[in-house]
Amino acid sequence: MLSYILRRIVATLPVMAIVALFVFSLLYIAPGDPAVVIAGDQASPEDVERIRQGLGLDRPFLIQFGSWVWRILHGDLGTSIFTNLPVSTMIGQRLGPTLSLMIITLLLTIVIAVPLGVVAAWKAGSLIDRAIMGFAVFGFSLPVFVVGYVLAYVFALELEWLPVQGYTPLTEGLWPWLQNLILPSIALGCVYIALIARITRATMLEVLQQDYIRTARAKGLGQGGILFIHALKNAAVPIVTVIGIGIALLIGGAVVTESVFAIPGLGRLTIDAILRRDYPVIQGIVLLFSFVYVLVNLMIDVIYTLVDPRIRY
Amino acid sequence: MTSATLRHSVWILRGNPLTAVAATGVLLFVLVAIFGPWIVPYDPVVSNVSEALLPPSAAHIAGTDQLGRDVFSRLVIAARLDLAIAVSAVGISFLIGAVVGSFCGYAGGKLDRAVGRFVDVMMAFPLFVLAMAMVAALGNRIENIVIATAIINLPFYIRFARAEVNVRRNVGWVEAARACGESHFSVVLRFLLPNILPAMAVQISLNLGWAILNAAGLSFIGLGVKPPTPEWGIMVAEGARFISTGRWWLVAFPGLALMMAVLCFNLLGDGMRDILDPRMRT
Repeated sequence: MLSYILRRIVATLPVMAIVALFVFSLLYIAPGDPAVVIAGDQASPEDVERIRQGLGLDRPFLIQFGSWVWRILHGDLGTSIFTNLPVSTMIGQRLGPTLSLMIITLLLTIVIAVPLGVVAAWKAGSLIDRAIMGFAVFGFSLPVFVVGYVLAYVFALELEWLPVQGYTPLTEGLWPWLQNLILPSIALGCVYIALIARITRATMLEVLQQDYIRTARAKGLGQGGILFIHALKNAAVPIVTVIGIGIALLIGGAVVTESVFAIPGLGRLTIDAILRRDYPVIQGIVLLFSFVYVLVNLMIDVIYTLVDPRIRY
Repeated sequence: MTSATLRHSVWILRGNPLTAVAATGVLLFVLVAIFGPWIVPYDPVVSNVSEALLPPSAAHIAGTDQLGRDVFSRLVIAARLDLAIAVSAVGISFLIGAVVGSFCGYAGGKLDRAVGRFVDVMMAFPLFVLAMAMVAALGNRIENIVIATAIINLPFYIRFARAEVNVRRNVGWVEAARACGESHFSVVLRFLLPNILPAMAVQISLNLGWAILNAAGLSFIGLGVKPPTPEWGIMVAEGARFISTGRWWLVAFPGLALMMAVLCFNLLGDGMRDILDPRMRT
C-alpha cells in the first residue's frame, strides 16, 4: 500500500510540472511582445524596456521558465507589476476570507447534500425523491451571482437579518465572522449541493441493492442504521471523490461570489489582477488554485487507500 | 433517427412532460435569438434618460434601466449573443474533442496514453479560473471568451468520445466493417462516430447550459462583453448597483432569463439521457 501511495504522489509531479509550464506560458500565448502587453497601452518605450529587463524577458524561454520554477520552489512568486508588493504577500493577505468562505460552503454542502441524497435514494421514485432531484437540477442551473443578489436582497436588504456585504476576520469573534459568510456560502453552495446530492443518490441506489443490505434488513436493524451506517459507509468512496472534484466549482464560484458580496479574498484579487493585466499575480493565483486542487484530490485518494480495505493496488 | 426511435421519443416525452417543456423552452430560446431584432418593442442601446429606472409597467414589461433603455428589449437581443457564444464554444470543443477522442480510443497505444495524460492535466485546473486566465492573456474580447470556454470544455469531450469508442472498437460490426475493406480512418468517421453521437448529444445539451453560465459569469466579472452591449451576465452586473435602492427588476429579469435558459438545456439533456438509455436514470 505504501508503494501505491508513493507512486500516486510521484504521478502528480509531472501533472504539477505541466500545470506550472502552462501557467508560465500564459504570458506568451498572448499575441505580441509580452513586455508591451504588461506595460499597457500608455507605456513609453523606456517603460517597456524596463519591464523587459526586470522580468528577464530578453532571455530564452526555457531559461526563463527554469529560473521562474527555481524561484517558486524557494517560495518566491515574483512581484506585482501594479503594487510592487511580493505576490506571496498579496496572496497571504487575501487567503483568509477565501479559505473561510470555502470551508463554510464545504461544511454546509456536506451537511445538506448527503442527507438529501440518502433520503432520495431511500424513497426512490416517491414524491420526496422527485422533489429533491428537481431541486438538484434547478440548483445546477442557478448562476452563482443571481442567487447571491436574490439572497442579499431578501435576507439583507428587506428582512435585515444579515449584513449585505463585507467580511470580518475570525479574530473578531465567531458570530461576526459567520454572519458575513452565511449568504455567500449558500449562494456558492447551490451548484455544489445539487451535484453532491445527485451523486449521493446514485451511489446509494446501487449500494442499497447489495446483499448485505438485505441481510441487515433481515436482521431487523433500524432504517436509519442501515442507511447511514451500513450503506453510506460503503457508498462513501464515489461521494468523497466527487466532493474533491467539485472543489473546482467552489474555486471558480468563489471568484464570482466574492465579487457579489464584496469579500476581499483571492477571487477579488484575481479579477483585479486580470483587469490590470498584472501577470505575476495572475500566475501566482492560478498556480496556487491548481496546486491546492491537485493536492486535495491526491489527499482524498491516499485517504481511501488507508481507510477502505477494499482498495488494493 | 429511425421512426421507431422517434415514436419512442414521442412516447417518452408524453410520459415525461418536463422534458417536452424543456425542449419547447430551448426551441423558444433559439427562435428569440434568431428573430429578436424584429420582435423587440424598443431599441436596446439607445438611451432615454427621461424614462430612467421605471419599474415594470404595461409600456415596459420588465422596466427600464439607468439610461432609460427597455430591459425586455435588451433581454431579447442578449439572447442571440449568449446563445451564439455558447453554441460556438460547445461546437468547437465537440468537433475537436469527438474526432481526437474517437481516434485515440480506436488506436490506443502511446498516443492515446499521451492524450489521456493531457486530459488529466487539464482537469487538474480549476476550469473557470483557467478560462479567466486565458481571456486575460489572449485579450479581453468576445472571441476569446468563446475560445476559453471551448478549451475548458475540450477535456470532457475527448474523455467521453475516447471511452465510448474504446468499448466499441472490437465489437462485431466494427470488425465486419474492417473485413469489408474499410480503412481505419473510415471505420472511425463513418461507423464509430455516428454510433456514439446520440450519447454525445446528451453531453452537448448539458454542456450548452454550462457554457451559457460560464460566459455570463465571465462577463459578469468584467471579462469579454463590454457595455453597452446587451448580455445577461453584464446586465446583472450593471443592475446590481441599483439593487440597494430597491430596483430589483434590473437584476431579477436578466437573472431569470439566464436561469431559465440553463435550466431548459439541463432538463433537455437529462430527458435525452432517459430516452437513449432508461437504465442510466439517476
